[in-house]
Amino acid sequence: MLLNFERLGAWKWILLVITGLTAAFLILPILFIAALSFGSSQWLIFPPPSWTLQWYTAFFADPRWLEAAWTSFRIAVMVTVLSVLIGLVASFGLVRGRFIGKEALRALFLTPMILPVVVLAVALYAFFLRIGLNGTTTGFVIAHLVVALPFSILSITNALEGFEKSIEDAAVLCGAHPLEAKIRVTLPAISHGLFSAAIFSFLTSWDEVVLAIFMASPTLQTLPVKIWTTLRQDLTPVIAAASTLLVIVTIALMLLAALVRKGLKS
Amino acid sequence: MTEPFLQIRGLRKDYGIVTAVSDVNITVERGEFMTFLGPSGSGKSTTLYILAGFENPTAGDILLNGESLISTPSHKRNIGMVFQRYTLFPHLSVGENIAFPLKVRRWGKAAIDAKVKQMLGLVRLEGFEDRKPAQMSGGQQQRVALARALAYDPPVLLMDEPLSALDKKLREEIQHEIRRIHQETEVTILYVTHDQEEALRLSDRIAVFSKGVIDQIGTGPELYANPSNRFVASFIGDSDFVTCKIISMRDGRAALSIGSGPVIHGVPVHGKNVEGGMAALMLRPERLSLSRAAVGEGAFGLSAKVTDITFLGSNIHVAALAPSGETLSVRLPFGHEAAAGLSRGDTIFLGFDPESAHVFCG
Ligand SMILES: Nc1ncnc2c1ncn2[C@@H]1O[C@H](COP(=O)(O)OP(=O)(O)OP(=O)(O)O)[C@@H](O)[C@H]1O
Ligand SMILES: [Mg+2]
Repeated sequence: MLLNFERLGAWKWILLVITGLTAAFLILPILFIAALSFGSSQWLIFPPPSWTLQWYTAFFADPRWLEAAWTSFRIAVMVTVLSVLIGLVASFGLVRGRFIGKEALRALFLTPMILPVVVLAVALYAFFLRIGLNGTTTGFVIAHLVVALPFSILSITNALEGFEKSIEDAAVLCGAHPLEAKIRVTLPAISHGLFSAAIFSFLTSWDEVVLAIFMASPTLQTLPVKIWTTLRQDLTPVIAAASTLLVIVTIALMLLAALVRKGLKS
Repeated sequence: MTEPFLQIRGLRKDYGIVTAVSDVNITVERGEFMTFLGPSGSGKSTTLYILAGFENPTAGDILLNGESLISTPSHKRNIGMVFQRYTLFPHLSVGENIAFPLKVRRWGKAAIDAKVKQMLGLVRLEGFEDRKPAQMSGGQQQRVALARALAYDPPVLLMDEPLSALDKKLREEIQHEIRRIHQETEVTILYVTHDQEEALRLSDRIAVFSKGVIDQIGTGPELYANPSNRFVASFIGDSDFVTCKIISMRDGRAALSIGSGPVIHGVPVHGKNVEGGMAALMLRPERLSLSRAAVGEGAFGLSAKVTDITFLGSNIHVAALAPSGETLSVRLPFGHEAAAGLSRGDTIFLGFDPESAHVFCG
């Protein structure tokens, strides 16, 4: 190896400090919010004068917050299911198909990842206005599906490309209908890709705010939208509690993904 | 008259403007071990894949017991196949892999268990049921793949270079296993390889593929003794080629001369008539005789200069340069008197039985 960490001498410590600072820069704001959510100060004073769970109590006592959390979860689950299903079918086409423009199509599927979300949001808003989908669950799901799908396609095509096609052929020759061979042999073999696709799709929808602001109505709000609108009205520590809960779900899912990936590999 | 077991008739496969195989005609007897031998890209796999039903032929037909297979989808052909790549189902254990085709066929649990046991015995992997494929060596995986492909007693087993990923020693070991399993099960095997030694060791008959067509079909000794063209001659066994002049051709025999040497009569000849023209004379290194003096005019038509002598255990290999600039190799058994005291730079005279040589024209 060109750069051997053990032989870097003093550089080793400098690198460690830089790494530590970068990590702190990324994590501290989250820790800060979490700390505030347990603080007793109404005005988000830091450090908190004393500790309390009252903001969490307030969160769980307010049906509007719970409603928003439930909406977020509901939409994220629907987006996950659709994203994995569509991503799976699209990936088979992109990996196995033989047609002109395959590479161009693959690039097209990934554009939502690089397109500014706000552009997408405005476009979808204008379009949904015509067909009356703004403020509906369907509109929400479609909008989030657009940004979640590239993650699905990326991880599933990756898994499928690493899967030896002859294994599926062998199952077919063993007497399994091509569809049965895909379900019983190919899908289990690429399950790590399907799982990544599901996690990333869920998270994409779960903490998405820009599209959600455009799609939301006073009666249909996801948790990030509710945090956003509440923030504009008054600064209450319940926001910190809601944010912390949002982050906890995200971290839990990431950990689960890492664990399952490890389990599937061994 | 009884129908032949398996017939491949006028098979052709085009990929766009590329013709992968054309005019493939083969008849295989029940229980026969038939090998497709040929260099890379010669169309062996394509032929096998059409048999498996993964590709549709552009033209031609495949008949099993007189009935066409072409319109039957792969999963209903009841054919077994072992692939070049490792194709065990990674999430299933060895036992579950072998049971897979039986479960698909809705066999009962007791019957499946008994068959899995029997197949593991056949490939000598008793006690490996619960291993995962990733915990097996390449050779073991291919043996499990063989067991899985034979579990449902298919009439035909296809094997596409199943040993090419293994090292030489292991390859030879599994070749013996395959021979034994062929004898025990009496299954008809179509085997693809580009390794002539493997083909000769395993097969009842060999079909030599070259550039998408079959050049010749025959037993190993037939192909070795009577190759129908230069390609087959050079692909099966070692061979020397010497340019010669055709003096006359009649009844499949030619009279020819090498350089300014005497006329040699009665050499088997293949190809179109080129009387008066040049052709390639094929000699087998072990059929050449070597002498230090130009005795026995006619039989010793060829002089050459020794360029190298290699001791190979039971054989001594002498490389010699003919006046035409062609390199010839001669193989002598160890201890042969002609090799005694031979050294580099010596002039030697080579002789051969005209019947053992072949001339290829055009
Ligand atoms: N899907 C395909 N599309 C286009 N050409 C193909 C396709 N499959 C095979 N060919 C061509 O057909 C010819 C025969 O290929 P085939 O795989 O049958 O050769 P092979 O004898 O099995 O060679 P190898 O020893 O390398 O496996 C080759 O020229 C190959 O490039
Ligand atoms: Mg091949």
